[in-house]
Amino acid sequence: MSAVENPAPARPRLGRPRTAGRRDDTRLALMFILPAAIGLVVFYFWPLVRGIWLSFTSWDILTPARFVGLANYQEMIGDPVFWNAVRVTLIYVVINIGVQTVVALLLAVLMQRLSRSILLRSLVLTPFLVSNVVAALVFLWILDFQLGIGNQFLDSLGVGRVGFFTTEAWVIPTIALVNVWRHMGYTALLLFAGLQAIPSNLYEAARVDGASELRQFFTITVPLLRPILGLVLIISVIGSFQVFDTVAVTTNGGPVDSSRVLQLYIYDNAFGQFNFGYAAALSVALLVILLVVTVLQYRVTRAGQTDLN
Amino acid sequence: MTSAATALDPTEARPASPPPAPRRRPPPPGRILAWALMVILLIITLFPFFWMLRTALSSNSALYANTISLMPADANLGGFQRVFGLQETEQAIAEGGSGASIDFWRYLINTVLMATGITLCQVFFSAMAAYAFSRLHWRGRDFVFGLFLISLMVPVIFTLLPNFLLVRELGLIDTLLGIMLPSMFMTPFAIFFLRQFFMNVPLEVEEAAMIDGAGRIRVFFTLIIPMTAGPVATVSILTYITAWNDYLWPLMVSYTDDSRVLTVALGNFTEQSPQTGPDWAGLMAATLVAALPMLLLFLAFARRIVSSIGFSGIK
Amino acid sequence: MRGSQAPRHAARSAGLGLAAALAVTATGCGVAVGDDSVDLDYWLWDANQLLPYQQCVDAFEEENPDVRVRISQYGFDDYWMKLTAGFVAGTAPDVFTDHLSRYPEYVQRDLLLDLDSLDATAAVDADEFQEGLADLWVGQDGGWYGMPKDFDTVAVFYNETMLSEAGLTPEDLQDLDWNPQDGGSFEEVVARLTVDSQGHRGDEEEFDPDDVVTYGLASQGSGGTSGQTMWSWTAGSTGWRFTDTDVWGQEYNFDDPRLHESLDWLFGFVDKGYLASYEEVGGDANAQQQLGSGQAAMTTDGSWMINSYTRLDGVDVGIAGLPSGPTGHPVSMYNGLADSISADTDHPQEAARLVAFLGSETCQNIVGDAAVVLPARPASTDRAVEAFAERGIDVSPFTDLVEEQHTMFYPVTDQFGAIDALMTPAMDEIYIGGRDAETLADLNERVNAMLE
Repeated sequence: MSAVENPAPARPRLGRPRTAGRRDDTRLALMFILPAAIGLVVFYFWPLVRGIWLSFTSWDILTPARFVGLANYQEMIGDPVFWNAVRVTLIYVVINIGVQTVVALLLAVLMQRLSRSILLRSLVLTPFLVSNVVAALVFLWILDFQLGIGNQFLDSLGVGRVGFFTTEAWVIPTIALVNVWRHMGYTALLLFAGLQAIPSNLYEAARVDGASELRQFFTITVPLLRPILGLVLIISVIGSFQVFDTVAVTTNGGPVDSSRVLQLYIYDNAFGQFNFGYAAALSVALLVILLVVTVLQYRVTRAGQTDLN
Repeated sequence: MTSAATALDPTEARPASPPPAPRRRPPPPGRILAWALMVILLIITLFPFFWMLRTALSSNSALYANTISLMPADANLGGFQRVFGLQETEQAIAEGGSGASIDFWRYLINTVLMATGITLCQVFFSAMAAYAFSRLHWRGRDFVFGLFLISLMVPVIFTLLPNFLLVRELGLIDTLLGIMLPSMFMTPFAIFFLRQFFMNVPLEVEEAAMIDGAGRIRVFFTLIIPMTAGPVATVSILTYITAWNDYLWPLMVSYTDDSRVLTVALGNFTEQSPQTGPDWAGLMAATLVAALPMLLLFLAFARRIVSSIGFSGIK
Repeated sequence: MRGSQAPRHAARSAGLGLAAALAVTATGCGVAVGDDSVDLDYWLWDANQLLPYQQCVDAFEEENPDVRVRISQYGFDDYWMKLTAGFVAGTAPDVFTDHLSRYPEYVQRDLLLDLDSLDATAAVDADEFQEGLADLWVGQDGGWYGMPKDFDTVAVFYNETMLSEAGLTPEDLQDLDWNPQDGGSFEEVVARLTVDSQGHRGDEEEFDPDDVVTYGLASQGSGGTSGQTMWSWTAGSTGWRFTDTDVWGQEYNFDDPRLHESLDWLFGFVDKGYLASYEEVGGDANAQQQLGSGQAAMTTDGSWMINSYTRLDGVDVGIAGLPSGPTGHPVSMYNGLADSISADTDHPQEAARLVAFLGSETCQNIVGDAAVVLPARPASTDRAVEAFAERGIDVSPFTDLVEEQHTMFYPVTDQFGAIDALMTPAMDEIYIGGRDAETLADLNERVNAMLE
């Protein structure tokens, strides 16, 4: 089951409204994007261009930048802390996004199918109302090795205590799951909005055909949710790569370097060591990684298209 | 045919026709399992909040010695008193607080103004752009959209200092406008998200309106926006919360009470100097107090959307 | 944009005269207002000191009716972030509390004014402060960049109840010693204070080091580069020093075997069961929490923590001196904060008057009477000692170290941020047990290369 069964008659894309003929909306479009474009250029692109320029300089923030060519990039290639940060960040993203997407999808479907309660929907969003820093602090407290209620619970179950924030094996999964906690309701809400946009008569038709809930999920929900799911994935992956607050508050990169994610390393170089040129080069590397990942995702999920029209 | 506006009605998934609630049948095992899952997820979601409340009602000096009990340690309202600035400085310090003066209601008003300003402008401008990217045909559309997508990836470290300098040169340091400025025009997320839903609005609805003589601008305001009220509301709420919770940028721009927002003021409850712990009770009380208006807003907003379903004529 | 090149001057030359003027007004950063008075901004991070310093400022304004001072306080991490941004945009405060690990970076970039070049501060004599404190703030160029305001040293905080349960008295904690070979009498006390779940003490045969309930010594994490409250006193009392000279060293001594032995001894407590492992406490270990919860009986910590420990609920905390080391006496790190004047200020003379006042006996006595930290002037230190004594707290273990000059300085060198980024993970690794202290010799080469 797919778009073909959408009762809205399929139409050739180029067949624009008969009355208007085939029009070019360029002037109108420019007007519509003007405010956003101002924001884009002034607050994102100008800093981006400047940042890329700074990656070819040695700049300590407080005195003039000096052009050094590719020196920062050469240093980066040979910097084991950088490569470790890339590895740690990737592991983080995989765990964070993997778990978050599954849980959020589950939550969204449950919300859609089980209850129209607004209270329920609000409760699910509550973790997002708490800042990253506070969320991290709360879990640092709950999961403290000795004093945390979480570890005392595990201990009483006979599982034994776990060094969630203090052992190399646990630290990244723990931080990833703390952020799943904070973002799962948010993500679920986005997916929920997508679920709502799926025409209900598709489900009705499927019911008439005797399709089970599970079958409806895979034949209607998943394919029709694809554009929103793709969008949510792209945005959360980009966000996930930029994890910073949670790590800075809980482990500050430790034990040793096992949670030293890219953004933390970048931030530390820029504001801890006044090594902004190098931090800029690291940021460019992160940007390139993000670009590659996003283009791949965009292709795979075809997030740019809709099956509804 | 349906629209996102009707979409908040969950009964649509079932053959039962609205408005009566679905008939009561013995719940199938799948439903019980589903509810069980939901309850587990809710417990995971809410337990930390219980712990925050428990900590907020405890006294800092007793926290370390009482870690197992689910009840507050040496229960008192000191944490909340500090949040509302009701405690004398000396007492606040004695209880492990920072002793910094707090004009809570003023910060709350600042925060509301700031978050409202950001949300109104950002969502409106983003919706306009999203319309251009989804419904209008123009050369370079996909390319320009790609540029917007890239802006999502620009690291904060690049934008922080230049934006700060710009705001300073515009004379907006220590003003609410200075805090709002960088996020007033758009976020790539809002554009991306709304574009996705605008694309779902059936073409013939738009065409029909245009046959009736409506221009594109009118179509945008009277058709597209109302038909996507659900997603627009969703984006608005998320934008509002994000603005409400933003910390680093307001911290940079704000210097006095003129522009101090809640998050910055509540920074006083985190670690004040290395090695001293945070004011746990105050921090948790502050977090709960700051989150409450958001929760109420969400509840109110969500009702609105649902009640508006009846009026949207498109079905 | 010019901003990327010389941000601080961008606005001034940007032809945005009006906007810039507005901005300066908006920040209230040292701008003359309608009447002839001058507004100054003063920043500090320690909220505990807000009250006494507000009193100081009130007294200052009374003496100087033409100057108004606005105090702002930000948490430690935010403070440096906002200060950096302030330097970039020209919105830095006129006067701010400065830290030894940060000021070299600022001096190098001409962001601070030389106090000797300003009338009010030049009149202050460095000898008026506790011995050596003012020297810490003299840059490599000979300029004076910070007016001392307080100092800190390290001593032992212990749980009085646990001490007596162990059959020890406060007198037993006097004149302890340690050495890297057998740990001396200090290790005996630590062992005695350690208790496992069966109630066996660390110095008993049946003691199980893997099942400890109360550690003899609380952990402060690995201590990082400076090991200020964790390990600096151990290596320091072997005669080891961070750098080749007291201040502005050109070479670090992380390759010294005395440092390695000291670290091996202290972190060896983990295997013996006397000290919590990294897994239990993490890199940002909170010793106050460990004492407060009864997980640890004793810790070494700084004088700025006196109130935090003595206010713990249900735990009576006493203070004792550090143990003597192989040199025959204890050695504590000796550190202090100071007030600096931003080069950005529009009113250097007024700022200097403020700084001189903050360092004056009047203000230092106010700070001393508040009993939060130990002020930089000896007479004011005495006032603080008295104020603490009135609350039943004997702080002589902290002040004796200075009188007897059993101190070493916090490492003041260039590149401290970069050095710290390299050293802290390595120190963590040593604490965890995954790295030999001897390997610090390799890191020392890289650290010294940074200073060349």
